[in-house]
Amino acid sequence: MQAKAAVNQKSGNTLNNAFASHFAKSMFLSVTALAILSFIGTRMFTHVDLNLYGYMVGTIVFIGGFFYRFIAWGERPPTKLILKKGLKLLFRKSTPKTSVEHLATYNFIWNRGIYRWTQHVLIGWGCILSCFVTFPLVFGWMYFTMDNNGHYNIIAMGMKVMTVPAEGIIANLSYNALNITAVMVIAGVCMALYRRLKNMQARAEQKFLYDFLPLYMLLLVSITGLALTFMNIFLHGAGQPAMSLIHQWSVIITLIYLPFGKLAHIPFRPMSVLARNYREHYAEQGMKECKVCGDQFVSIEQSKDVVDVLGVNTIEFKAKEGHHLAEMCLPCRRKYRIAQFSGFPTHEVKVKEANQNAKG
Amino acid sequence: MKKRLYLELENCIGCRSCLAACTQCGGHEERNRNYVYDVNPLVNRQTMPLMCLHCENPACARSCPAQAIQIHETGAVLSALVEKCIGCQNCTIACPYGIPKFDQEQNIMYKCDLCIDRTKDGIPPMCASVCPSNTLQWLTDEEIENKKKQFNLDNGKWVTSMPYLEGETNVKVNLPGILQGITKLF
Repeated sequence: MQAKAAVNQKSGNTLNNAFASHFAKSMFLSVTALAILSFIGTRMFTHVDLNLYGYMVGTIVFIGGFFYRFIAWGERPPTKLILKKGLKLLFRKSTPKTSVEHLATYNFIWNRGIYRWTQHVLIGWGCILSCFVTFPLVFGWMYFTMDNNGHYNIIAMGMKVMTVPAEGIIANLSYNALNITAVMVIAGVCMALYRRLKNMQARAEQKFLYDFLPLYMLLLVSITGLALTFMNIFLHGAGQPAMSLIHQWSVIITLIYLPFGKLAHIPFRPMSVLARNYREHYAEQGMKECKVCGDQFVSIEQSKDVVDVLGVNTIEFKAKEGHHLAEMCLPCRRKYRIAQFSGFPTHEVKVKEANQNAKG
Repeated sequence: MKKRLYLELENCIGCRSCLAACTQCGGHEERNRNYVYDVNPLVNRQTMPLMCLHCENPACARSCPAQAIQIHETGAVLSALVEKCIGCQNCTIACPYGIPKFDQEQNIMYKCDLCIDRTKDGIPPMCASVCPSNTLQWLTDEEIENKKKQFNLDNGKWVTSMPYLEGETNVKVNLPGILQGITKLF
């Protein structure tokens, strides 16, 4: 038994030792997975659309940047903590509901304003739907064949899923999917840019490289994409080869830049589901009582975690009374500070804080 | 010329102009992000304002798993970036002064950003520009130095921020009257 355990441990070590870093391991595994999926999807590489090989290379470079950015980010102590505990709680009952609300319908953005919600749905779903169409095409997970004239077979992962008439609704939707999403993205990006023109605060906080460039890139991708359709239909393909290179360039630049600009929140946002689970689960486990007033204000676990994370950053907020400042509820913590200034223990007077919300 | 927010706490008359002004800052969406407290509510009328002190080593940003709290080049610790904040509320637990506010509906934290659209161009933040009693002032380091001379404490005490705070902050806090043992009459 012991020997077996030792062997297991050793083999575990050798697997980890095979890679120089997390980065190398993640990179190797994803590229291998992509290759295997493409091998299956394209029926042993017999249906690769080589027109799209530029996107393939672009995607692999993107994955490199993605892992570089996100592995570094995941090593930060608070991030690591939420990721670790959140993943353990992934199978809570509320996960599907929270995921839909946070990642698909964006209820919290609705509460920030209908304008912003509309803009976000247009850009978000425009991009997501585009990805659902383009990535399968690029890696050969989906392609079309024609056995008898006038009917397309849709092949997904190497299997014939359905046969549709070439002039039918499904076929037309497939041809125009990217045109539709391009219009969605253009509308959304224009709304976002308009908001930045009008809202001085939004402009004050935002930088060209971080906030504006991704929007301009999305606009460029969508417009060059639509231009391709325009050239095919109205110009009989004139200029199409050049435009397809411009489009390809814009898509690859956007992909490679994605992990480093505002769009980084796309792959990163599922964390909010983990955070919600983390809060809900540990709130059920037990709530922390304020050291001064006894109000329950946060879960015991989160309070402890925050104290630990601050400890890692060599921040120790010890109160004179011996507890950590994070163990007081927020109103008591504010009054405690006033008490430090004035010398009078404001936090011990049993009066609720009043008149703190000015009505603008 | 770099200016700082400078607080002379005991000047506060509790008018709450700073709260009202805060609601009017661009991007604050008519919700104030600062506080005014009665020091001894059942006995006298002394009040003191409390706002984000913009720590040089901000605990809120250190505890944020999403890197949503950015530090501006002026030293201001900004409110959570809307697209990054995941609503874990670590920052509200970490802040030693209890400053960050959390909106459950919008799933986002918001806190004083020192009116960054104004202060980045040297314009005083909303709260300081309306304060009628000089509790909140917008001063250069030199002017703060002059105040130090002006008060000329005989007990050798001049305090801006430390030791009443947990660490060095960009906002300077002072209580000249209390340190001198003088009761101010308004």
